[in-house]
Amino acid sequence: MSFFERPPVRPPSEPRMPVWARGPEDMIPGVVPVALLVARTATHAVLIDNLLVYPTGFDFNLAVRRHPGHPRYPEHRWGHDLRLEVRFADGRTADNNLRRWPHPTGDQLPDPPLLYQSTSGPDGGHVWLWGLPPPGPLTFACHWPTEQIPPSQAVLDAGLILAAATRAQTLWPEDVSA
Amino acid sequence: VSASEPPEPPELPEELEPEVQYRRPAWVEPPADLVPGIVPVELILARTPERAIGLTGIRAYPTGFGCTLHLRLREDIPGEQSTFGAFNMFGDGVDPAGEFADYYLRVGVGFADGRKATNLDHRRDLDEIPAPDPPTLWLVRWEGYDRLAWEVDAWVYGLPPPGPLAFVVEWPARGIPETRVEIDAGLVLEAAARAVPIWPDPTRR
Repeated sequence: MSFFERPPVRPPSEPRMPVWARGPEDMIPGVVPVALLVARTATHAVLIDNLLVYPTGFDFNLAVRRHPGHPRYPEHRWGHDLRLEVRFADGRTADNNLRRWPHPTGDQLPDPPLLYQSTSGPDGGHVWLWGLPPPGPLTFACHWPTEQIPPSQAVLDAGLILAAATRAQTLWPEDVSA
Repeated sequence: VSASEPPEPPELPEELEPEVQYRRPAWVEPPADLVPGIVPVELILARTPERAIGLTGIRAYPTGFGCTLHLRLREDIPGEQSTFGAFNMFGDGVDPAGEFADYYLRVGVGFADGRKATNLDHRRDLDEIPAPDPPTLWLVRWEGYDRLAWEVDAWVYGLPPPGPLAFVVEWPARGIPETRVEIDAGLVLEAAARAVPIWPDPTRR
């Protein structure tokens, strides 16, 4: 017997992220084949880039670009970030206002759509949207008063999101499990 | 400057600002003034009973392309999380030829003319002069959640020549042999040609 006895495996105690706050971990997402220019001023632009879709929702980069002649970074101030709202064709909306972040109890799921911006800063951030849109126009609208970006929007055919959702791949289907 | 605006930093006088402002070089990130063309690739590069590596969403520009790596664990493996040793790709002081080399996930791209870029390449400084020859591979964003999933955005500086474009991974210590998935580089070249200027008026430069 070895001098060094291994302790029993102790499972991590960290709580799991709820299913509505992330894409399914056991899937590779489908890709929407376009990037959207949502806002443009003389000095700034806002892109929706890298739209990756799962059957439960989609995530994307909210990318702030600066004109090469005006590359100065702003002083980042908490609470002064770019405001983003996503609107479904049926009138439902979700935005990145943290004050509207839900606090469901137990296994209760919040009503989609729900927008969770996991990173935020002068370059924009990364966004997860819980819930797939119905067919029709899907609107991305933004507004950034501290950077003089007026209310602006771009529209995507939600069919592109729905088609990409069907291409998401399950990594370990039950019939090939080890 | 009105009283309601923040004062300019004294070390950046207004008239010198464009010249003195630090800008990251082209091999570090996509050009700021283009909307990329997208190649909707959805690849599973490697899959074992415990782990998987996917690659999606090529964003193509005339100077190179970005893509997203998806690192996945099927179940919790205490102590491992889902980083796949990936953090060692970003840290200083890592010797990829050293004793722990087999514990790092290796990621790379291979061009049809034999050129390649991997995360084991010599680490470069952002202000390196002259700029490295393409291709180079730079990891621009990483984000993990819930221990099972990790997303890494990579920027490949330099477009591939026509022919097969290979994405290669290997992780010796975790049972992932060298695995290569190829796509037609023409898809990336066509998407790069679809990149659109955000500010099309050149007199604004």
